[in-house]
Amino acid sequence: MATAIVSAKAGVSQAILLAAKPPATAAKSIKGSKLVDAMHRSLYPHLYQQGGGSAPNRKIRQQMGTMKRYKQVEAEREARKVSWFRNKMRTSSSSKLAAQPQKPRAIRRTCHDPVAAVTSSQLAVHDPTGARTRLFDRANPECARVGDILLVRQRTGEPFAGVCINIRRRGVDTAILLRGQLTRVGIEMWYKVYSPLVEGIEVVQRAQRKARRARLTYMRKEKHDRGSVENVVRVYLRQKAALGSSDGTKKKGAAAAAAMAGGGKRKGNVKGKKGKKR
Amino acid sequence: MPPMPPLNWGLLPPSFLMPSSTRSLLPLIPLSAAPSHTTVRTIKSVNTPRPDRFAHHPKKPALNSTSRAALARKALTTPLRTGLLAQKRGMTAVFDPETGRRTACTVLQLDRNEVVAHKTRDKNGYWAVQVGAGHKSIDNTTKPMLGHFAVAGVEPKRWVMEFKVKGKEGLGVGVGEHVGASWFSVGQWVDVKGISRGMGFEGGMKRHGFSGQPASHGQSLMHRGMGSAGGSQGSGSRVLPGKRMAGNMGNESVTVKNLKVLQVDEANGIVVVNGCVPGPKNQIIKVQDAMSKPWPAGPMKLADISPAALAESTEAAATPA
Repeated sequence: MATAIVSAKAGVSQAILLAAKPPATAAKSIKGSKLVDAMHRSLYPHLYQQGGGSAPNRKIRQQMGTMKRYKQVEAEREARKVSWFRNKMRTSSSSKLAAQPQKPRAIRRTCHDPVAAVTSSQLAVHDPTGARTRLFDRANPECARVGDILLVRQRTGEPFAGVCINIRRRGVDTAILLRGQLTRVGIEMWYKVYSPLVEGIEVVQRAQRKARRARLTYMRKEKHDRGSVENVVRVYLRQKAALGSSDGTKKKGAAAAAAMAGGGKRKGNVKGKKGKKR
Repeated sequence: MPPMPPLNWGLLPPSFLMPSSTRSLLPLIPLSAAPSHTTVRTIKSVNTPRPDRFAHHPKKPALNSTSRAALARKALTTPLRTGLLAQKRGMTAVFDPETGRRTACTVLQLDRNEVVAHKTRDKNGYWAVQVGAGHKSIDNTTKPMLGHFAVAGVEPKRWVMEFKVKGKEGLGVGVGEHVGASWFSVGQWVDVKGISRGMGFEGGMKRHGFSGQPASHGQSLMHRGMGSAGGSQGSGSRVLPGKRMAGNMGNESVTVKNLKVLQVDEANGIVVVNGCVPGPKNQIIKVQDAMSKPWPAGPMKLADISPAALAESTEAAATPA
């Protein structure tokens, strides 16, 4: 081995020194340079992968730039780290692993949106039929919109009716803001749509045309104030009473009444859950 | 200075100091007897030595500066069992079907809570359970922490925190064991601790609720400043330590005490507590039994919350009723 290295070194020096010299003297160096090539090839095989020529492939050498080489070394190091950890875990805590059959799963895979899970569990209790969800669902063309006159029947106390000037959609926390009048004084009431205190929500009158605002706060100004909706509600309740008391007749009658009323389409039979006053 | 030799006044001076006429008398003078007391004279303290403050004597009252006394002082406010790490996932509301009462609540989610280590009185000086949660890739974990996790038999954890417990019985959950949301029970009280939202450098009005200054009446270029920071000469001409001023607001540890657990969902890792919880969404939160309420009779170890144990407890609760 020692002799091989010595001769290889000699070959390198000769090859460098005699590269430009005539072949008469170069003949001796050929043997040495071959040995150098062989050793270089065995030391750095990745440089000779393509082409198979005796000279190292310059292209490959360029590809294996500093960054790539660094990344490769890093990857190897990480792999060693992972295997070291697995091995250490196996050796140092084998008894506990045996006692623990399965590793816990990432909870985000099981339940990505826990707030939605809590909301759905609440809706299952407070809106089992989904009627109220549909009433305020934007995808429903029959849904209640701002500008409609809504009537909220409550568990205790008198029902309250007013123009809906704001719908705050927040899952189970969804709320509506109704503006009406009591004793000639303008009143605004927030009702939580899914509250158990709200027995039902009914659409008394649809808006004449779709509101071009999300919140009709301009109705607080005297110029735009609808004032009392008492008369509209009285007519609605009278018609509803005339159309029958049982559920089946009511539903049929509601459609007929809507046709008769011409403009105002009424949505009856909406079971409200509850509302909370603010 | 060496102690002086005793002076014996009964003896005569040395003979060479005596006149020659009396030298013959020397043997005639009898030697005095040895003195009956110690005759070493030196400097002595008049104060009695004070005892060492730290050398405890059984007859004296117990010291309160020891670790034992510190643990005893905190015994009443240290929970009996460990807490868990949860992520704040958002707020919503729940309704009580009977009363119709609405309660604002925060949804917390537990993610792969596992016990990483136990801290013991003998080894660490206190009792605590080290809990890890979440997941961290091995590549991003340092080798020392990897060794720590490997010994516990758990995957690397993103968050590792300690929950102090009162005594050895608080270490009911073994190292490497997985604890889920049913560790807490509906209706119990918990304290939550987390890092509040960082507001950055804020002025006195937002940070401390100062009133600011007038908008008009000749006010010039100073509307939200804090105003005076104190008096001048006579009051000391200095700013008192602790004076509230503008500065960094938020991003500090905040504890909210006595939140009621409204819902628990083991499968989805959900714990719903009433009210609000510090920090933004996905903030890691420490949840532990409330220290100012009676300790819950909750599970102390995993066997208590296994399905069989839960069924037994519900049966036991149902039969007397």
